[in-house]
Amino acid sequence: MNNPFIRLEEVSKSFGLLTVVEGLNLEIGKGEFISLLGPSGSGKTTILMMLAGFENPTSGAIWAGGKRIDSLPPHRRNMGVVFQNYALFPHMTVSQNVAFPLKMRSLPRAEVKERVGKALDMVQLGSLAERRPSQLSGGQQQRVALARALIFEPEVVLMDEPLGALDKQLREQMQLDIRDLHRRLKLTIVFVTHDQSEALTMSDRIAIFNRGKIEQIGKPSDIYDHPSTQFVAEFIGETNLVWGTVKSMEGGTARVQLPAGQQVLVETATDLGPNSKVCLSIRPERIKVGRREAAGNNITAAVSDIVYHGDHLRLIARSDGQSLIIKTDRSQPTLSIGDEVQLSFLSSDCWVVRP
Amino acid sequence: MNAPRLSKQVISLALVAPLLLFLIVFFALPLVTMMKSAVSDPVAARTLPATARSVSSWNRTSPPTVEMQAAFVADLRQISDDQLFGDLVRRLNSAKSGFRTLMPKTRKAALDTAGSIDLVALDKRWGDISYWQAVSVAASSKITDRNLLAAVDLQRDASGAIASVPADASANKAIMLRTFVMALTVTGACVLIGFPFAMIAASVDGWKRQLLLGAVLLPLWTSLLVRTAAWFILLQDRGLINSVLMQSGVTSSPIPLIFNRAGVIIAMTHVLLPFMVLPIFSVLIGIPKNLMPAAASLGAHPVRAFLNVLLPLGLRGVVSGSLLVFMSALGYYITPALIGGAKDQMISSVIAYYATGAANWGMAGALGLVLLAATMILYAIYLRLSSERETSP
Amino acid sequence: MSVLRFSKLIFGSATVFFLIAPLIAILPLAFTDSVFLNYPIPAYSTRWFVELFTAGVWQRSIINSLIIGCGTTVLATFLGTVGALGLRDKQLSLVLTTIKTVFLLPMVVPAVVLGVGMQLMFARYALTNTYLGVIIAHTVVAVPFVVVNVLAVLQGIDRRLEQAAASLGAAPVTVLKQVTLPLALPGIVSGAVFAFATSLDEVVLTLFVAGPNQRTLARQMFSTIRENISPAIAAAAFVFIVGTVLIAIVVNFSRGTKRAKEVR
Ligand SMILES: Nc1ncnc2c1ncn2[C@@H]1O[C@H](COP(=O)(O)OP(=O)(O)OP(=O)(O)O)[C@@H](O)[C@H]1O
Ligand SMILES: [Mg+2]
Repeated sequence: MNNPFIRLEEVSKSFGLLTVVEGLNLEIGKGEFISLLGPSGSGKTTILMMLAGFENPTSGAIWAGGKRIDSLPPHRRNMGVVFQNYALFPHMTVSQNVAFPLKMRSLPRAEVKERVGKALDMVQLGSLAERRPSQLSGGQQQRVALARALIFEPEVVLMDEPLGALDKQLREQMQLDIRDLHRRLKLTIVFVTHDQSEALTMSDRIAIFNRGKIEQIGKPSDIYDHPSTQFVAEFIGETNLVWGTVKSMEGGTARVQLPAGQQVLVETATDLGPNSKVCLSIRPERIKVGRREAAGNNITAAVSDIVYHGDHLRLIARSDGQSLIIKTDRSQPTLSIGDEVQLSFLSSDCWVVRP
Repeated sequence: MNAPRLSKQVISLALVAPLLLFLIVFFALPLVTMMKSAVSDPVAARTLPATARSVSSWNRTSPPTVEMQAAFVADLRQISDDQLFGDLVRRLNSAKSGFRTLMPKTRKAALDTAGSIDLVALDKRWGDISYWQAVSVAASSKITDRNLLAAVDLQRDASGAIASVPADASANKAIMLRTFVMALTVTGACVLIGFPFAMIAASVDGWKRQLLLGAVLLPLWTSLLVRTAAWFILLQDRGLINSVLMQSGVTSSPIPLIFNRAGVIIAMTHVLLPFMVLPIFSVLIGIPKNLMPAAASLGAHPVRAFLNVLLPLGLRGVVSGSLLVFMSALGYYITPALIGGAKDQMISSVIAYYATGAANWGMAGALGLVLLAATMILYAIYLRLSSERETSP
Repeated sequence: MSVLRFSKLIFGSATVFFLIAPLIAILPLAFTDSVFLNYPIPAYSTRWFVELFTAGVWQRSIINSLIIGCGTTVLATFLGTVGALGLRDKQLSLVLTTIKTVFLLPMVVPAVVLGVGMQLMFARYALTNTYLGVIIAHTVVAVPFVVVNVLAVLQGIDRRLEQAAASLGAAPVTVLKQVTLPLALPGIVSGAVFAFATSLDEVVLTLFVAGPNQRTLARQMFSTIRENISPAIAAAAFVFIVGTVLIAIVVNFSRGTKRAKEVR
């Protein structure tokens, strides 16, 4: 990145003997929406807390806007934080909550009033200004937290699973609202989430974390279509992992032999030596049923289970000891368990991942 | 550990410091002072320095040497403060009776004549080696185990070995035993009333539970003196209980209820009952509501379910409650002092008597130390049990 | 009605009676006209209340109790609240966790033992027979209540509220003033009430440390019961019991309305 706005440089964090974040390097551009995604305990919150200044890195440096900030106390970092449980002040009304950051900056009273009004209108809460947080619904509290974190026009907004406590419908609505605010206000947002579909729909880039390290970072489509490791392939979406041995390599295509003897063609950017063991990831929705693909790979298999999912069917098929999941639309001719089916997939839908 | 984390701890410590300092100075130091008074014995060493020096070479069995006598007389001549002399006499007399008359007589002789004095000729008690042994023990050390031994009815005999005090002079063991028995009785009474009561309170809900808990909390919040006063008024010979009993013809003359053991036990049980009910109640209420129906659904008879499920769990509350009640009862002062007779005084009253009545700080300190140690041991057990409960729910 | 329910009813009622009846039974005696504390009450009057609030010793002791109680409340609330703020962090080093247990010891040590020690030590620093000495002695036993109460609310406060305030631009002292203390207020107030009540009811330490000039109401009641019982005791008890019930009702009511507000 040419001119990153936030830069984490070899940042590590340990609690006693437990190392939670290890040698992290991360650059975030101005106006970017980046999601941190990873399993529980992978250190996402810890990174956010270090950005906000509530935790100090054990080693390494954090830069923001060209200044080193890792020894700056939280109240001087000018970052808006939205917590999972919203952290609204229960002893203040909605408007007092939203006015808080402006009061801390000693703005004149008239201006505070005006900006609070605007901010509440922006999140459509103007009519609830005098209520206490306990008298609001979850979604309303969430919007107050958002208004409070944005009203002082921070350079960065940090959000830690801000939608975790909302039900599905509300969550989707809020996802759209936050994306909209991000575009309109040109905010830089660091967004922590558990929910992969949320990360895929909202972010400019996603960083996948595993045990305090970044497994892969990139655009949502990159991550989904070209997972670089087995962990990422399994963590994002669903996948079939197949092991095999490289037989030959021609241009960008490798011929890989599966344990049962079938051979498949695989497009890959890396050069694979003959006889090396590889792991392949094939997305279930990329496997076609009942069609032969002249340019692709073809396998015959027996259907061992069919699961109805409303908008699609899920087949479990076995072929020579290898079990595959296939997502298929419902227009498929009716299949039943035990049927023999023809499976096919393109060599470009078959992706080599690092174990 | 890096700098910001360290500074967090420093801030925490700085916030705790005033309270800590306050408690060290005004809580720990008084206790240390009290303990020191139990073992400190400076008066003889301070007033008889020359004697102390000369007895250091004496073997305590041969007759007193001339130098010792001369040193003793010289020391006596040096004491100008009558109060200090009084302290010395009291100290020596407490080791061996006889000094109360012997000392003023000797001092008078020492001050009246200038040269050396033949003490044995002055008073033949000075020929008795045990008097010199007492002087020697008192003068040669600034600390003593005399009070601590006396607190448990022991003393050092003439040769310095530890022995029991004569039966007629021993009182402390009896008082400790009495304190123990009374505290145990009160604890027992509290268990007998408190356990079923807590079970009942846990088994009902709504206003009934409010009422039962309120009945426990109201006395707890009411002044201890008010409650003691109430019992005093009720238990009097012409108080409410006796007048009801007499009018209903149960008895013709008042039953003595006050200034005796029964009255103290009743009043103390009333005062301490909440400390039994509340821990048991909180354990019972923590038992999942569906445990009893679950046991029943597995085919357990209600009584079996009670015996196998509720009772064992409730007993843990009984143990903490009993420790609390017993610990408080051991150190009780006000209720026995106001409602008890002379034969119902517990160890606290005796300590208070030694401190304020007899100005015998050594004995007050020694008995205080015994009480303090007992209480601390019980508290440690209590802490142990409650922390175990926290870690293994 | 089954035998079990019947015996529960009987036992429960009997125990409630045992707990409450003594406190109720002495209330009417406060209004007796006689110098004896006996039933039946010959005639009713308020003479003992008049005595309580006008007679020299009683009046003096009430004033002393108020002076010492207020002093204790201020000192204990300050020390206890500041100390609790220092003790709240759950990830403290072992030293502070041990200290936490130690802070509760004054509630456990027998009062007479502490009294003897205080009398000995205070005498050296000329603190016996002074108001300051009595206030200090009362604070020692009152401060654990403040620590316990304040610590309980502090540990219930979500750390993220304070972090949120800091991220919004509040300096540490502002966070304390605007967020932490307002949220801890209920605990601080109940700690202060406990401290005042403890001081009001303290007798043993007062016996050892106070002189005749610092004789408190509780101390006066103690010697009245001990030396010559008079119905003024019943009047004082009446004031205490009614006061306790009123405070209990107020506390319960304010908690109730607060909860109702939050639910709404
Ligand atoms: N203050 C702390 N002291 C000790 N360990 C901590 C502390 N904070 C976090 N940890 C540990 O660090 C690890 C990472 O925690 P973190 O909260 O960053 O995970 P996370 O990725 O946010 O997980 P989740 O998705 O569950 O929120 C966990 O194992 C956690 O137990
Ligand atoms: Mg987290």
